[in-house]
Amino acid sequence: MTTVNPVRNIDLKAAGSSSGNVKGRSSLRFLGEGLLWLLMIVMALIEFLPISWLFANSLRDPAVAYNLPPSFFPTEWNWQNYITVISSPQIKFLLFFFNSVKIAAIVTSVTLLTCSLAAFAFGRLRFPGRNMLFFMFLATMMIPGTVVLVPNFIIISRLGWIDSHLALIVPSLTSAFGIFLLRQQFMSLPEALMDAAKIDGAGYLRIFFQIMLPLIGPGLSALGIFTFLGSWNNYMGPLLFLRTPDNYTFPLAIVTLQGYMGSGNRAHVLAGIMISVAPVLAFFLAAQRFIIQGIAVTGLKG
Amino acid sequence: MGALTSPEAVAGTVKTRKGWNFRKYEAVAGYSFILPSVLTIMVFTVIPIFIAIGLVFMEYDILSPAKFVGFENIKMIFKDARLGNSYLVTLRFVVLATLINNVLGILLAVGVNRSMPGFLKYIFRTTLFFPVLTTSASLAVVWRFLMANDRGILNYLINQLGLPSVPWISSTEFAIYSVVIYDVWRACGYMMVLYLAGLQGIPEQYYEAAKIDGANSFQLFRYITLPLLSPTAFFCVVTSIIGAAQVFDNAMVLTGGGPQDATRLIALYIYEKGFKAFEMGYASTVSVTLLIILLLITLFQFWFSKKWVNYE
Repeated sequence: MTTVNPVRNIDLKAAGSSSGNVKGRSSLRFLGEGLLWLLMIVMALIEFLPISWLFANSLRDPAVAYNLPPSFFPTEWNWQNYITVISSPQIKFLLFFFNSVKIAAIVTSVTLLTCSLAAFAFGRLRFPGRNMLFFMFLATMMIPGTVVLVPNFIIISRLGWIDSHLALIVPSLTSAFGIFLLRQQFMSLPEALMDAAKIDGAGYLRIFFQIMLPLIGPGLSALGIFTFLGSWNNYMGPLLFLRTPDNYTFPLAIVTLQGYMGSGNRAHVLAGIMISVAPVLAFFLAAQRFIIQGIAVTGLKG
Repeated sequence: MGALTSPEAVAGTVKTRKGWNFRKYEAVAGYSFILPSVLTIMVFTVIPIFIAIGLVFMEYDILSPAKFVGFENIKMIFKDARLGNSYLVTLRFVVLATLINNVLGILLAVGVNRSMPGFLKYIFRTTLFFPVLTTSASLAVVWRFLMANDRGILNYLINQLGLPSVPWISSTEFAIYSVVIYDVWRACGYMMVLYLAGLQGIPEQYYEAAKIDGANSFQLFRYITLPLLSPTAFFCVVTSIIGAAQVFDNAMVLTGGGPQDATRLIALYIYEKGFKAFEMGYASTVSVTLLIILLLITLFQFWFSKKWVNYE
């Protein structure tokens, strides 16, 4: 049994020789465990405090937004900043919000459809050239996005999509990785399922939509969550392709308008950022276990 | 049964007048199912690669027609001191970010995997992971406030401890470390989750058997956890390197590549050359060098992995 090997490889002599000094060993262990816990607590604070500072300061009166000491927990509940940001006629925050939601929703729903269709075909149908085409898809996963930046810009400007949301939507309408992921899921379904449907006379579209698709729910939702986040958090795409402020998405609006927004007032900028982070935070708190499992299984990044 | 019968299904099971048999029908279904994805990938990934390679020999500013310049761009690569600097900055960033993210990822995963009350586990996992989901560009704005010289929060805290202020993003020396710090803040939780999944895949019996043999917790970590985690580590290191080599948002928003190119990562340099200076031929040449370097690094890692990755 090869599975026992790692255990057997343990250096028993080392463990044996130090066993005389039980006290030293256990205090060393306590030290190690203590350091591990210390690291966890410190890291949790480091990860948490910037976000709580963001929230606390977004609620501060703009007049004292720069005052020190900083507050990491809300000291006042000045929701006025949020109202200012949302209702300000110059900033059009609701429009940016809508742009971001629209693009992310279209990209996510279409990507799920195209990826699952292709994954089903690659995993479950036989046709000439199938393996070669699938290999091509795998190979494109190796290509860093930065490398195709310039050519993509040229293609999109030739298509006349500069300053159009199409530039952000159409290139993201499928994902080689998504196809790869869902194909694995389709292939894990029993062969008999498809045979039974075929015998019953179901066409491939019907097999796909009514029988296969409902069975790969976990894969679909993982891919869906991360496609949505990828689009929602995309900064470089809008930076390259969008020109008119009315077309801006949230991240671009926040970064480019931060000086102009409320003439440089930090409290307003932070309220704006909070509005873009809050939906994700709420969703994450509700679906935490699920999202983490999704990442663990797929290795996808938000 | 009747409800499931559809015209296309009939065409699929019996030979119709058009002469379509089962095989052909399956192939047509297959091709039409992959068509949308094939088209998208073709137009926005495959063709662009060939354009990128073609542009290596061109001078192009998008307004006037492309001009063939032979090896000019390639010659320029070797003379461009800013490119050399950019690659050095990128190298430093990639090494530091990959190292710190992965070491922290493993340690935090081991920590979170310890037995503890459910709510504590929930709090740790949530706080350590949430930054991964936030918008990197927007949170970089927050970090710029935190790292500001004037009324910056980090410097205030440091001063409270009696230490002098640190010029986080305003000095050429420190700026790159600030970009690394921000990257670690955003990414180490992601690594933690991947390592956590790897850890939970290690069968409990191994630990029990080793404990019976008298192994201490360091030995358990060194001789069971690490070897059995090595496939996960390999995946994480490869993806971290490829990801870190292309980081854009972080540095773009936090430092804008400055001061004086101190944080001009390669993606920022390509962006500047391609979309600010509109030297698209040269920008493409630089991006092709990045492609080659990343491919070589990945191939090397796959070769080297045979020496340290344990596949069961």
